[in-house]
Amino acid sequence: MTAALTIESPYRMSSPSDARAEERALVIAAQRGESDAFAALVRQHQRRAYAVCRAIVLTHEDAEDAVQEGFLHAFKALDRFLPDQPFGAWLYRIMANASLDLVRRRKVRDADELPDTVPMPFRDPGESDELRRRLNMALTKLTDRQRSVIVLHDLEGFTHGEIGAMLGIPEGTARSDLHHARAALRRLLKDVRSDL
Amino acid sequence: MSDIRLFNNDDDEMVRGLRSLYAAPAGDAYWNELESRIMARVADVELGWWTELDRWVRPALAAAAVLLLATGVAMFRAHRAEQDIAAESMLSAPAVPVSTAIRPALQDDREARIRFLFGR
Repeated sequence: MTAALTIESPYRMSSPSDARAEERALVIAAQRGESDAFAALVRQHQRRAYAVCRAIVLTHEDAEDAVQEGFLHAFKALDRFLPDQPFGAWLYRIMANASLDLVRRRKVRDADELPDTVPMPFRDPGESDELRRRLNMALTKLTDRQRSVIVLHDLEGFTHGEIGAMLGIPEGTARSDLHHARAALRRLLKDVRSDL
Repeated sequence: MSDIRLFNNDDDEMVRGLRSLYAAPAGDAYWNELESRIMARVADVELGWWTELDRWVRPALAAAAVLLLATGVAMFRAHRAEQDIAAESMLSAPAVPVSTAIRPALQDDREARIRFLFGR
């Protein structure tokens, strides 16, 4: 039997075409300089934007920073966005770039003191069970890109093409990263399962 | 939207663990606060002097163009007016008689007769 968990988006509106038209109107209004319209776009997309950033950076705090940077970049580049294009795809690419920039900066800064594990998110103070600790450790054995790809695909539901566009890699590479990440995670967690 | 088929049935717990590691914060208060922070940073960008300058560039260019055009028209009109005055002054009758102006010393009868004949 296969575990098949469907992730429902909490930000879905009444119908896709209505949502698209509403979003387009908001984008056009924001391009005219209406800050309320841009705030509405932030409200609509910030959770998904956070998920994209969180998949790429290592901590919740970095994800927060990347989300803010990303929205700032998006605001500055809004004039260049064509309203007929899907706003989400454009925005999440910006978010991914902001996150990758942050990761690069962190790597340069923390070159001498890289953490041994992926830092735990801020909301899990009491989470100290062995499984999660080992899962956390297993994730550190993946490359940054493999970790991002597996989270974006398996947890956030992005397609290989969307992930490729966000991370600046070909779709085939995203597919292959996912395959390798899954295999590595299974292998790393096999021992944990037998221990538990 | 997608199905998660990362692990088999035995690994549901692993999937839950992975999801909880990466789950977004819950609670509207957090997201409202994040939105406020984002919009505060956006407002900082909006209020920057360069934005203000950028806002005034187009009206300033338009005003400069209008001013330039008006100056050009005024200069053209002034030039035309000068030309008209010069032409009028050339065509209008002189205040002093021509004979006096050219030959003030034509006094004798002979010359007066010659002038009379040629003047007809």
